[in-house]
Amino acid sequence: MMDISLAAALTGLLAPLLAFALIMVLLRGRPHLCAGLSIAAVGLSLGSALLLLARHGASPNPLEYSVQWMVSGDLAVGAGVFLDPLSLLMMVVVALICLLVQIYSLGYMAGDPGLARYYGFMSLFAWAMLSLTLAPNLLQLYVFWELVGLSSYLLIGFWFEKYSATQAGKKAFVMTRLGDVAFLLGILLVLAHLGNLGIREMNTAAVAAAFEPSTLTVAILLIFGGIVGKSAQFPLLTWLPDAMEGPTPVSALLHSATMVAAGVYLFARLYPFFSLSPTAMAVCLAVGTISMLLAATMAMVTRDIKQVWAYSTISQLGFMLMGLASGSYFAGVFHLTTHAGFKALLFLCAGVFIHHFETNDMVAIGRAGGRRQLIPLVCMTLAAAALAGLPPLSGFFSKEAVMAALAAQPNPIWLGAGLLGAFLTAYYAFRLIFLIWFPDRVSAETAPENTDAHGHAHAQPRWQVLVMLVPLVVLALPTLGLGGLQTHLMSFLAAGLTGPEPVLPHLPWLPLTASGCALAGLILAWFEFGRRRAPRIGFAERSAFWRSLFAERWYIDRFYRALVDRVIDRGLARLCAGGDRHVIDGAVDGLGRGTVASGKAVSGLHRIMIQHRLGTMFAVIIFLALYFFI
Amino acid sequence: MIVPFNHVLVLSGLLFFLGLFCAVVRRNLVMILLGLEIMLNAAAVAFVGASLRWQLMDGQALVVFIIAVAASEVSVGLALVMAAYHRTGSVDPRQLEQDG
Repeated sequence: MMDISLAAALTGLLAPLLAFALIMVLLRGRPHLCAGLSIAAVGLSLGSALLLLARHGASPNPLEYSVQWMVSGDLAVGAGVFLDPLSLLMMVVVALICLLVQIYSLGYMAGDPGLARYYGFMSLFAWAMLSLTLAPNLLQLYVFWELVGLSSYLLIGFWFEKYSATQAGKKAFVMTRLGDVAFLLGILLVLAHLGNLGIREMNTAAVAAAFEPSTLTVAILLIFGGIVGKSAQFPLLTWLPDAMEGPTPVSALLHSATMVAAGVYLFARLYPFFSLSPTAMAVCLAVGTISMLLAATMAMVTRDIKQVWAYSTISQLGFMLMGLASGSYFAGVFHLTTHAGFKALLFLCAGVFIHHFETNDMVAIGRAGGRRQLIPLVCMTLAAAALAGLPPLSGFFSKEAVMAALAAQPNPIWLGAGLLGAFLTAYYAFRLIFLIWFPDRVSAETAPENTDAHGHAHAQPRWQVLVMLVPLVVLALPTLGLGGLQTHLMSFLAAGLTGPEPVLPHLPWLPLTASGCALAGLILAWFEFGRRRAPRIGFAERSAFWRSLFAERWYIDRFYRALVDRVIDRGLARLCAGGDRHVIDGAVDGLGRGTVASGKAVSGLHRIMIQHRLGTMFAVIIFLALYFFI
Repeated sequence: MIVPFNHVLVLSGLLFFLGLFCAVVRRNLVMILLGLEIMLNAAAVAFVGASLRWQLMDGQALVVFIIAVAASEVSVGLALVMAAYHRTGSVDPRQLEQDG
């Protein structure tokens, strides 16, 4: 029994790696074979994930297979697989979305000259992400954490002939690295105090004895720095909207559903460890809240359909962190799961529109007849309703769980922020939906053949359209039905947690209030964008000050630009350049110049007039005589 | 010994420094040669005095050699001075250097 589990886990992990190696080394010239291989590999991963879930879903004991990888003194670092409810759930989510997105990419990326490379990178990502999910210790997790970052960089810059795409890739890589440095320092701090990086060992209450309370807080906050970078939280949140330069399926997979959720996953993974320090939890709660609100305001003014979903991803990740940090393990993980489903769906629907109309502008899509794309639009509306937290969709249940956790906090400000976030989320999500459903000028209806001609101009084969629509429908199912599984999931996840989940008081008014806030957002969006003779300009866009503040991302990017220019370019870099030019160059030049000068002086001695030479000789001899004989 | 050995050494030293001064300071090749001769003779005087002091003939024998060397040195030196004079048209050592 043990062996079958291990074999299944290893097969699931290594199949995408094998696919990646084969694609990059042998099969670059045959893109369709690459696509098939990659999809087959990730399908195998999904199969093994489901098998593992079926075998171990009911058992409360986590399984760990580890071998020693590195032993030095009393430090031991292992490598292996760790199977518990959380990692199994995440593995299924990751494998499922990977598979659907790769199938979808068959249509979206058809005809792209880099198709083989695309599938190679996708396999690399699948391998790294699955291994990250199943890592039994922090070091292994960190290695795959970085590999996931690498594949993110490669895929954002996939269309590298586009300058902005390469810039965005670089920005994403550098900003997440910034967090990862903190993460690495945190790992080292834990290693120094605990001598061990195993996730199971870190999650016991005995860890608190090994640390000073302040050191523990610092270690947790450093690890949280990695989460901030990877999950694009405040203050490192601006890389994610730029990452939308990549192909849309990549955004759906990496930058909404799985990779950015890795940060939240890490938080959940180390949840008992994190909850040892109330101070750190408070900081995490504050960071999550700030990110949630900031990103929601940014999403209210942009017209780029992918940007809206990117901001909403940041916002929802912040929301998950709020749930976790306010003490509800289940709420955070549940929201992570449902969010992965509906956000991937949102991006894939957006991809259909972008692919069809060749623009990212939601107003232009609406005017060009976006509502004729019935299936994607219905799916997107469903997913947006889930995002807004409207019953009976999955997002309603998970949001409600987070809200309950927030309501249990002594300070009501967190709940207030959560409700405000729910209102803003519903507003910006339905702003987009209404702008596509009810455009102000419908060119499609005045000239219906126009759309058809447009559609035919692509001359897309029927199978490609189908292949893009099937994943939408598949993803719509969990969006509709995942909420019903709440109690099952709760008992399933609670089995993996060492400490007891705090019992939250049941507040009957809370779901009503939360969905009331969401409904208010929806109605406001209807008044401003949906109804006939609607102004089609949001309340946030009326004032130039707020519009530019939100559109410029609260000037965070400007601030970083200025910081880099002033402090790093003009301060630090100039200081270093000056030091290099004057101290190091000066020393080397001085050495050279000194050699030449002394050479000249010595050469003058032997080119001197004969009598001076004679005089020197005598002087030397006399002084030597004085020295030796007196 | 009527004259004390110390006096001989003082004389020899004075002669030596005279020759040195002449050889280093005078800007004339012939005078440089002369200075050299005087320094050789100073050494010879010291040898003769030592020979007298210790009643040994070695010093006097050496002086004969010195005189022979000095004579040959003068002949070679004068030939070089002639060559220098032919090249530069003067016996000034500075002219020799500038040609260099």
